[in-house]
Amino acid sequence: MMGTGCTLVAAIGIAACGSSSSSSSSSSSSGSSSGGGKSLTIYSSLPLQGTSRGQSEAVVNGAKLALQQAGGKVNGLNVTYTSLDDSTAAAGKWDPAQVAKDAQQAASDSNSIAYIGEFNSGASAVSIPILNRVPLLQVSPSNTAVGLTANVPGATPGEPAKYYPTRKRNYGRIVPKDTIQAAALVALMKSDGCKSVYVLNDREVYGQGLATNVALAAKTAGLKVDGNQGIDPKAPNYRSQASQIHSPCFLFSGITANNGVQVYKDIAAADPSAKLYGPDGVAEAAFTTNEPAGLQGRTQLTVATLDPKAYPAAGRAFFKQFSATYNVASPDPYAIYGYEAMSVVLDAIKRSGSSSRQSVIDAFFQTKNRSSVLGTYSIDANGDTTLTTYGVYKVVGGKLVFSKSIKVKPGA
Amino acid sequence: MEAASFAAGRVRRASALAWVRGLLSSYGLYVALLALPLVYGINDLQHAHNLTRLGQNLVNGLSNGAIWALVALGYTLVYGIIELINFAHGDVFMIGSFASFAFWTTLGLTVATSVLGLVGGLLVTLVVSMIACGALNVMIERVAYRPLRNAPKLAPLITAVGFSFILQNVGELWLGPAQHNVSDLIHAQQKVFSISGVVVNRSDLLALAVTAPLVILLTTFIARSRLGKAMRATAQDPEAARLMGINVDTTISAAFALGGMMAGAGGLIYALYQTNIWFFQGFRAGLFAFTAAVMGGIGNLRGAVAGGLIIGCVQQISDNRFGSQWTEAIVFGYLILVMVFKPQGLFGEQTREAG
Repeated sequence: MMGTGCTLVAAIGIAACGSSSSSSSSSSSSGSSSGGGKSLTIYSSLPLQGTSRGQSEAVVNGAKLALQQAGGKVNGLNVTYTSLDDSTAAAGKWDPAQVAKDAQQAASDSNSIAYIGEFNSGASAVSIPILNRVPLLQVSPSNTAVGLTANVPGATPGEPAKYYPTRKRNYGRIVPKDTIQAAALVALMKSDGCKSVYVLNDREVYGQGLATNVALAAKTAGLKVDGNQGIDPKAPNYRSQASQIHSPCFLFSGITANNGVQVYKDIAAADPSAKLYGPDGVAEAAFTTNEPAGLQGRTQLTVATLDPKAYPAAGRAFFKQFSATYNVASPDPYAIYGYEAMSVVLDAIKRSGSSSRQSVIDAFFQTKNRSSVLGTYSIDANGDTTLTTYGVYKVVGGKLVFSKSIKVKPGA
Repeated sequence: MEAASFAAGRVRRASALAWVRGLLSSYGLYVALLALPLVYGINDLQHAHNLTRLGQNLVNGLSNGAIWALVALGYTLVYGIIELINFAHGDVFMIGSFASFAFWTTLGLTVATSVLGLVGGLLVTLVVSMIACGALNVMIERVAYRPLRNAPKLAPLITAVGFSFILQNVGELWLGPAQHNVSDLIHAQQKVFSISGVVVNRSDLLALAVTAPLVILLTTFIARSRLGKAMRATAQDPEAARLMGINVDTTISAAFALGGMMAGAGGLIYALYQTNIWFFQGFRAGLFAFTAAVMGGIGNLRGAVAGGLIIGCVQQISDNRFGSQWTEAIVFGYLILVMVFKPQGLFGEQTREAG
């Protein structure tokens, strides 16, 4: 594989690679306009409305940059990128019907070769079975729920078999799964001196699964879990629930769109000394800018993204290039995952040496020791990455400020 | 001989059943209503040897329920007078929250504003929110319901649903699809005083201090004023009221205006109480408030208030004891129980349908 750094340097003048874009209410496309013959389409499906909009746009821009740098071609074939929206304005987050519609659109397009998404694990639970029947390669830049890929503690009954009706795998991800995130959260809480923790989850695939993983990791690490309870994401407040929580440490396992800010506000008011923790589901601007000033500095979040300086040279070059291309001073951490999702898909197409969907899936699952902007990683038989490092961020002044990274033992 | 004893047995069984049925219809409702507080009261006494936790649930429930009561009054006023379930009412309440937030922001109220400035500013905001929501409700009645006065009942029901969605979209365009956190102007969760460990916060005091006078004013207005009497007459028999010289259309508009004003007040309290507003808040609030109105006996003002307070308490006990994820099921379970024992609601209906 060509060094990513070299690719980045070469890409500076690649605006001429022929990116064209069109947009509608739910999709926009870009890709090569040069050459003739068969073209391939890579779709992405992400929540472009609501609280995760900023992160999704970063993923889309990262993916576009990767395609531009590849010259919009793989194996001599033109590659087009179409960005779809899996959210609705009314829901303010991903919507099951919209996810199914996006997956059906990709499934029914004879030129489609891969699908980047979804952003939310619950959404992928909807799209994986649809794309599995095609079959079409699906790569998520952000899903962490364990049950999507493996029947390990934290998965619900029937997972992951129910997502793969053909019994063959077509889905993978480039972020470490929640067993890793849970271990990182528990390690963080232990290092902060927590003796016990109370967990509230938002009852989605992601939130509930992560909460289970945290409970399991905590047991192993000797951290007591005082409770793990679901919330009603549409409730106006959680004061009564919060008044019954007397643990020194608190974790909300869920996403911002499920009333995340209110949960923290009520917990912090009920116990002003409680230490507050959260996962990547709330590590976004919609959370950090809405969290009251009094809680900032008290809240620590784990995200699979690291400080730009902690990435290998190729990663650091990516952030520099991204900033220059999109004129943003500090790129959203998820931009690099959008870039890598597109890059690994293009790499799989290249290695497959054909435009056959099954051979591209096979090539993706054969990804070994890939030198990437995220570091060197492989994809295992379940579709999981071998990366195991999580970043710890503090919410300060309405922004995520990198604090440290936690490397979890493989197999956690 | 055997036939006679068999018949006597049947009579005894029937009378026993009738006795049980009578007992249930007389006391079943009270048993159902008191079940949760009684069970948890006994439980608290056994484990904590005091009733502090239950007391806290009830204080929070009353303050939360006061907001539902204000919204429920709008449902019951409108249903009482034209027998229409105004599905857009919850969303008028949401607009009340949004308008209040916009107005106090325009006034420049922040957590740093002096107490005097804050009290004055919020009083003006209350008046503005009430006027805005009253006017909005009158406009909705004029545009979507009055032209359908003689249409089949389903027609205004559907236009009400339509207006509900329109208002939700207005809210969504206004502040976006996510929950919007607003400044905690009153330091909502700051303790004011406590009695035997039961803490009363500023938000609890605010909800009760605004709701109680408004409810008293409204019930006095309906009972004593000329317009209030016209409303009651129209509610009983619109045709007879018209023959007696009452302007029925104006009277109906006044009922919508009053309902809207209560929703506007509820909207402001909600924003200050929750410190979090959302374009979808009206759906859930509307559902709870409508349930409160039905539980109390739709068309009955006292019933709407009582229903709101009961639902607030059930909600808080459920949130605290079972977790918020089960609250909707428990609240509606309560409604079903009340309906089973007293289909006309706690205070009975005061509508034409009910006679």
